[in-house]
Amino acid sequence: MKRNTLVITAVLMILATFAWAGWANWEYRKQAAERLRASAAQGELVVDAAGTPQYNTPLLGKPAPPFTLEDLSGKKVSLSDYKGHALAINFWATWCAPCKVETPWFIDLHNQYAAQGFEVLAISADDIDRKDPNKFRDEKQEIARFVQKMHMPYPVLIDGDSISEPYGGLDALPTTFFVNRNGAVVAAQMGITSKEEIEKNIKKALEIVK
Amino acid sequence: MFAYKTGIPISIAAALTFTSLLAIGQRPLLDEAPRSATKPAVVFLYPEQVTIPAAKPTTIALHFRIAPGLHINSHTPRQEELIPTTLAIPADSGVRLDGVVYPPGADFTLPLDPTAKLSVYTGEFILHARIVAARGDHLVEARLRYQACDSNACMPPKTITAAIDVIGK
Repeated sequence: MKRNTLVITAVLMILATFAWAGWANWEYRKQAAERLRASAAQGELVVDAAGTPQYNTPLLGKPAPPFTLEDLSGKKVSLSDYKGHALAINFWATWCAPCKVETPWFIDLHNQYAAQGFEVLAISADDIDRKDPNKFRDEKQEIARFVQKMHMPYPVLIDGDSISEPYGGLDALPTTFFVNRNGAVVAAQMGITSKEEIEKNIKKALEIVK
Repeated sequence: MFAYKTGIPISIAAALTFTSLLAIGQRPLLDEAPRSATKPAVVFLYPEQVTIPAAKPTTIALHFRIAPGLHINSHTPRQEELIPTTLAIPADSGVRLDGVVYPPGADFTLPLDPTAKLSVYTGEFILHARIVAARGDHLVEARLRYQACDSNACMPPKTITAAIDVIGK
């Protein structure tokens, strides 16, 4: 009887170990699958008939994924705050040389089209370490210095990495999504293009041209 | 006695049934692999192993290769915001990094901004690291931090590991 109890206990322990291992493995693979699904929403660069690279994102025609981020003063800013505006959601970073080239174009075009309801939301993808207050302050200062140097007149938000997944992973910068007044993504571009191309996409967002 | 004779087979049958049910949980959660996996912009080539005199500063050459079409900032980029390429060795590895001689960067200009010159590495590059190893065999995981771009876009900064077996004799 004693031996029987021991055997049953051992079997139960083995079962419990199997159950735990199975559950842990399933959880791990579920998380991995979620990450892969998120990256499957990633866009890709394709070359059009004219030889111009186009960013083909699955977000085209769909609502821009909602987000709430902080600006450099710590104020929370949400995408929904800009309901009814045409937007360029411009992901950039201080370490990105091509971003520096296109920023003056965005500034010019912002000033040109702001009166028609166009806004640029510049979202920095620079690393942010909220756990270390001193580091966090320094990182924000570095972004602020860049913003000041470039005279960026539009809202600048930080911690873009935290919303990178719904926006396709942001494997490269600059990446910009153009959103119409109804909140749908009408165009996107990855990498630097030209001021004319950006203006064309702003007009699409403003529905000045189709 | 009855329990002994029948209990064990029942337990074993239960275990087998249960484990086969668990096997269902092992089925793939995705029907297909992701469309693309991001390849690193920089790979460590060699050496995999070096033998150097123990406790004596010795220079070793570390060879890296940058993917075609990409560049990384040199150790001394011309703009303060740009991230320099740097090499580090973890403090607890038994090997101390005394200094690194980085190659000079080559000039690079973005096609859309001919006025700004960048200092970059392309293709293969070599870092001369002066190291001091304690006596013995040390598996060193040197860390190279870089930030890569092509002519139109940049990828986030990344750190790769260069694993080197350093034997101090």
